[in-house]
Amino acid sequence: MGLVFTRLFSSVFGNKEARILVLGLDNAGKTTILYRLQMGEVVSTIPTIGFNVETVQYNNIKFQVWDLGGQTSIRPYWRCYFPNTQAIIYVVDSSDTDRLVIAREEFHAILEEEELKGAVVLIFANKQDLPGALDDAAVTESLELHKIKNRQWAIFKTSAIKGEGLFEGLDWLSNTLKSGGG
Amino acid sequence: MFSLFYGLWQFMFSKLELRVLILGIDKAGKTTLLEKIKSVYTNVEGLPPDRIVPTVGLNIGRIEVANRKLVFWDLGGQLGLRSIWEKYYEEAHAVVFVIDASCPSRFEDAKSALEKVLRHEDLKGAPLLILANKQDLPEAVSSEELARYLDLKKLDERVYMFEAVSAYDGLGIRESAEWLVEVMERSKRTEMLRLRAGAMGPGPA
Repeated sequence: MGLVFTRLFSSVFGNKEARILVLGLDNAGKTTILYRLQMGEVVSTIPTIGFNVETVQYNNIKFQVWDLGGQTSIRPYWRCYFPNTQAIIYVVDSSDTDRLVIAREEFHAILEEEELKGAVVLIFANKQDLPGALDDAAVTESLELHKIKNRQWAIFKTSAIKGEGLFEGLDWLSNTLKSGGG
Repeated sequence: MFSLFYGLWQFMFSKLELRVLILGIDKAGKTTLLEKIKSVYTNVEGLPPDRIVPTVGLNIGRIEVANRKLVFWDLGGQLGLRSIWEKYYEEAHAVVFVIDASCPSRFEDAKSALEKVLRHEDLKGAPLLILANKQDLPEAVSSEELARYLDLKKLDERVYMFEAVSAYDGLGIRESAEWLVEVMERSKRTEMLRLRAGAMGPGPA
């Protein structure tokens, strides 16, 4: 009975839940983004081994955000988290131009995954506060985002440290998920 | 016998997704148009116009018109983002170019962007629908006026139409979609894309 009421309540108030994976190479800023979104402040982080998971309530959507460690040795474990994912936030260090090629390869490998076929893709061109950071158009080019033709995607310039661009991205995400997504 | 083959051909054709690119400069109303199309043709209510933010990426809308499957690709129109438009040309069956008919100060910008689109090899023979959008605003010019204003050359060999629409209240949306289906069905480009898809086998959809 309680469950029925909960369902009714959330359908009336438009509450929706979405499972989001935050992926990207190590040192892209995934954990900083997660806690910036969740607490609104910058926390000092250490490289994530394993994962962090938090719930972020925004625009009537309860985002369950999984931040997975990005180091080479643990990337193979990302796939354990793929099922039932509605969206991927792919974080790129826009100032780390040397590793954009690797970032691109990892990104397109993720998109190939059968279990993520229906997921929409949000890209954060992060660390815009650093000198030499590429802008959204340049990151689009480097990541070859134009190869994505069967799902919706968007890219936002972000600075997790300054808190810029993150909620604009979540706005896009919640709109896209509400209007049927992928 | 003929009707059998014709039936088969029709069946194959109906399976094929017709891909339509929605282009235009920023603030033309491309995403609002896409959401309106979704509202008109699917059960899913599209986003209301006040919730739509500038696109930096790709929005997709899948609909069915007259038993044909249509996929709309809506790309961001800001100057820095226009460079990715051409990556989508090769696979597009038709192009919709959206212009804010209420904003003459940007007609020149729209015109040069459109001319660049039309010059591109990869879009050869693609039917073109030019939309004089925002007809809900009193200052919007008609589609004829817009056509005169743009004064496009080299349109002759291409199937094209100007249509006055309002992505806001839905004026002209059905007419536009139906026209698109009709011309795409008959276009040589559709034939060419179908043959190419056949030759390459059923690759990743």
